[in-house]
Amino acid sequence: MYKYAARRLLLAIPVLLLSSLIVFGLMRVMPGDALTALMGESGNIGERELQKIRHDLRLDLPYYQQYGLWLWQLVSLHPGESIFTGEPITTSLGKAIPVTLELTALAMALGLVIAVPIGVLSATRQDTASDYVGRVVAVSGLSLPDFWLGTLVITFAAIWFHWIPAIGYVSFWESPLRNLQQFLLPAAVLGFRLSAATMRMTRSTVLEVLREDYVRTAWAKGLEGRIVVYKHALKNALIPVVTIVGGQLGVLLAGTVVVETIFALPGMGRLTVEAILFRDYPVVQTNVMLVAATLVTLNLLVDLTYAWLDPRIRYQ
Amino acid sequence: MALVNTRPAVLEADAAVELGRLRALWTTIRRKPLGAVSAALIAALVLTAILADQLAPYDPLAARPEIRLAAPSWEHPFGTDDIGRDVLSRVVHGSRISLWVGLLAVGIGTVAGMLIGLLCGYCEGRTDLVVQRLMDGIQAIPGLVLALAVVSVLRPSTTNAMLAIALVIIPGNSRIVRGAVLSAKQNRYVEAAQAIGCRHPRIILRHILPNVTAPILVIASIWLGNAILIEATLSFLGVGTQPPTPSWGLMLSSTGRAFMEQAPWLALFPGLAISLAVLGFNLFGDTLRDAWDPKLRRN
Repeated sequence: MYKYAARRLLLAIPVLLLSSLIVFGLMRVMPGDALTALMGESGNIGERELQKIRHDLRLDLPYYQQYGLWLWQLVSLHPGESIFTGEPITTSLGKAIPVTLELTALAMALGLVIAVPIGVLSATRQDTASDYVGRVVAVSGLSLPDFWLGTLVITFAAIWFHWIPAIGYVSFWESPLRNLQQFLLPAAVLGFRLSAATMRMTRSTVLEVLREDYVRTAWAKGLEGRIVVYKHALKNALIPVVTIVGGQLGVLLAGTVVVETIFALPGMGRLTVEAILFRDYPVVQTNVMLVAATLVTLNLLVDLTYAWLDPRIRYQ
Repeated sequence: MALVNTRPAVLEADAAVELGRLRALWTTIRRKPLGAVSAALIAALVLTAILADQLAPYDPLAARPEIRLAAPSWEHPFGTDDIGRDVLSRVVHGSRISLWVGLLAVGIGTVAGMLIGLLCGYCEGRTDLVVQRLMDGIQAIPGLVLALAVVSVLRPSTTNAMLAIALVIIPGNSRIVRGAVLSAKQNRYVEAAQAIGCRHPRIILRHILPNVTAPILVIASIWLGNAILIEATLSFLGVGTQPPTPSWGLMLSSTGRAFMEQAPWLALFPGLAISLAVLGFNLFGDTLRDAWDPKLRRN
């Protein structure tokens, strides 16, 4: 197990290096460099000043040196400053990461709380009205764009309850109640999408497990239905669900981009969108790499959890 | 002489496979009502896009400030927006952008992914290792974030959004095609073709490719829905289609959010259009899989 974990960790390094190369290459693809495009739009900066800024940002170095420098900055956790605000990227990330973490954790919790019971209900009452309702909700969850759902939630919350998203973020430690007020609706919107895929998976795996011999044995012993379903069947049925939830992490992280923008939450997603709109290259490339690294790590954790949950799986 | 004779036979066999697939699809659509619903949704979307000029009651770009933010009525069933443009006409014309971006992005992504997958699966070895790690590297970045980064580099426009979505599609497609090629290569007839000295392109085109088309079509259908969703999201975030072109995502972000309390219909109808289009392609992908995947058919 430890050996497997170590090997997977080692394999993740070249993948991340390639991702960084792709991100770096992408930022250098366009004609000229980041700065010419940037300053060309405002058009009131002299050639000498441009040279100076270019030198300050090390954009006059050859590409391989720029790449090496950037990698070193990432590894040593000093990814530089934003071109626009001049704020160190670590400072802005320090403010944004807790927001995104809270949002995704809450969304995941809400998503699972909705998905697993409905999935089980759908499976145990297959082809009844409640099963159909559950399945229709799941398919619509996969098709409703989260930015639309978010916009509708805000619109109708404003019309019916005169609720508007609060301006200015309040951390959980300052005021737990106000913080939850800010996070509950966006997390629900984000969690709904996650719950759709999870619900579908839970339903099909529970259906499969309920036909297994050992479940029949449990019924034959005269156990109560609740115990058969929750104690015997669900535990094994949840194993593939872990993989689905793991696979949804990327969708969840991408979803924060949209949900944070709509609900005005100052997290990683909104930071990235703003950096993209302002063409703030150092921030964009650092954020994208951070997301990629998080995703690769989380996927590794999901695989390890899988091995831990299912004793039949032993990695060589 | 023998060579001349085999040709029509091969063509007939191809036609039979195609016919068999269409028949399997038709049976599934008839047996499963959701399949019929998805086919109807897609047909409606395609027809709306083709006949947009005839279907739209007004010019989607014509502003009439005197009737701005008018609620839905007989004259304007979906209401009007902040400068008095007819929302129904804009939604109808928006189907063109969504379908166009979806088809082209998925087309480019599928063809490129297929070529890469064929190359990797057929050659194996070092090429395969290097290219597949590159695909891993792209896949490590969430699709929407990658598309955002690409568009930020290329400048926001419909075409660039399309290219960005195509790039997102390539790695997953290449992997599935690669897997299918690897398993198709195990077939005896491929070995036989190699033994009688067929050239590589011929083996790939005539013996391997036909095995790979079903999985490609299934993924392409599911990706069409996703591509429409990503285009709408990019436009919503302001880096996709630019105003005044009617794009569903853009309609939601520019006027839909600004006037949501006074005029909720501005956000309601474009969003509904996106959802129905995506739902159609998602369900259709499921139906295709049910019809063509022998493992699922048995159940």
